[in-house]
Amino acid sequence: MTARESAERALRRSGLWMAVGLLLVAGVYVRALVFTPQEATQGLAQKIFYIHAPSAWVAFLAFGIVGVCSALYLFLKDPRLDLFAASAAEVGTVFTTTVLVTGPIWGKTIWGAWWTWDARLTLTLFLYFIYLAYLVLRTAVEEPGRRARYSAVLGILGALLVPFIHVSVYLFRTLHPMPVVLRPGKPELPGSMLITLAFSFTVFTIFFFALLARRYAWARLVDARAQGEADHADASR
Amino acid sequence: MVSMLAQAWAIAAKDLLLEFRSRTAFLSALVFTALVLAIFNFARDPTAVSAVDLAPSILWITFSFAGVLTLSRAFSLEKENHAIDGLLLSPASRTALYLGKTAANLVFVGAVEAIALPLFALFFNVPLLDVLGPLVLVIALATVGFVTIGTLMSSMAVNTRFGELILLVLVLPFLVTPVSAAAEMTARIFAHRPFAELAPWLKLLAAYDITFSVICTLVFESTVEE
Amino acid sequence: MPMPPANGGFMVAAYVAAAVIYLSYAGWLYWRSRGR
Repeated sequence: MTARESAERALRRSGLWMAVGLLLVAGVYVRALVFTPQEATQGLAQKIFYIHAPSAWVAFLAFGIVGVCSALYLFLKDPRLDLFAASAAEVGTVFTTTVLVTGPIWGKTIWGAWWTWDARLTLTLFLYFIYLAYLVLRTAVEEPGRRARYSAVLGILGALLVPFIHVSVYLFRTLHPMPVVLRPGKPELPGSMLITLAFSFTVFTIFFFALLARRYAWARLVDARAQGEADHADASR
Repeated sequence: MVSMLAQAWAIAAKDLLLEFRSRTAFLSALVFTALVLAIFNFARDPTAVSAVDLAPSILWITFSFAGVLTLSRAFSLEKENHAIDGLLLSPASRTALYLGKTAANLVFVGAVEAIALPLFALFFNVPLLDVLGPLVLVIALATVGFVTIGTLMSSMAVNTRFGELILLVLVLPFLVTPVSAAAEMTARIFAHRPFAELAPWLKLLAAYDITFSVICTLVFESTVEE
Repeated sequence: MPMPPANGGFMVAAYVAAAVIYLSYAGWLYWRSRGR
């Protein structure tokens, strides 16, 4: 099977998975909104957690994939690793956007302010900056080999940076406690809520991999076509 | 190993000699830094916040941003007449090239900081002499932090469209650790706090410097490979 | 037991925003990648 045919088949299969993923996400919505009890002290807004936390998990998972594939690319030089990393970065950015949108909405109800430089949201904000730097860098380099190498370098460095930012933010916040208007007690999650949360984490992970599969298949198809044109141009010389 | 260091030294010496002859980049960087310090005076209300409270922030925003902007000099000068090809074809290893460029950048940025620091003390009435030792240590560690990363990123940015802008987008996320650690330590140094209070930040910055010096040295090769 | 705060509107806003983000991206991705 040629690279192009393989990519086209992957495209069709991942289309199916995307549909499954979307249905499952709809299922999470129904489960969280209708079948999960309201938390006793925080109100309905607490349910944002069922979307916010799994999205954050995916955001970091995706960047882990970018980091690993970047390192592997520099060793193995397989262009598919670069395409996979780039696909993970794009999809990961989408999930990070959701975290940074749902976070402040939820934060407004707990802290009374849209943004308080909360440790986890701040780390996510910087993850976002690294993702954006990665995507911007890719648009700024045209030659595919160089683009792959440069992206891989940034992918590795970015992945290493994340733990340092985590520690920096943690140190900063323990020394500069921010005012908290309402202090939520640590809610115990009764069984039903835990099930919803676990369900949501699973679904979002599946949904992520479905989107990633589609994005990667598309990237491979574009690459195979470009390769085909280059070969054709060479042959007809 | 010895020859690698000798090569790095030769590359650093070449860069510094070139710069010494024309001094254009150095003087521009110096004037830029002085201007930023001066403009900061107008970006605050002196009756609302005392200079000494804002001083660490002013110092570190100025040093890090001005520092990063000067880093593109190192590789953009090699674009003239494709000088970079000469360097890559020479027996100098890629590691030597990176270390040489980084060393030259450290000297360059260090020299700018050495002149800007007294200026900062003058503009904002910050007594520095009795805390000079610890302060210089913090400045050195933080500078190593952003110069190692900045030199690596500039070797990539120089080959992209809108290189200077791309360089900033690439480097700024990496400034969180050095700038926050340096600013926190500087504030405590100015307040004559005991050394023990600096320890967590010092350890973080040292770990950061070691980690990224090593990693940048290892991956540099991938940014100049053809 | 005190009444929990009435913040259902925030919940709706967040759920809708997330749905918009995910559906837009999934839709864009699906349509753009339908290679011919």
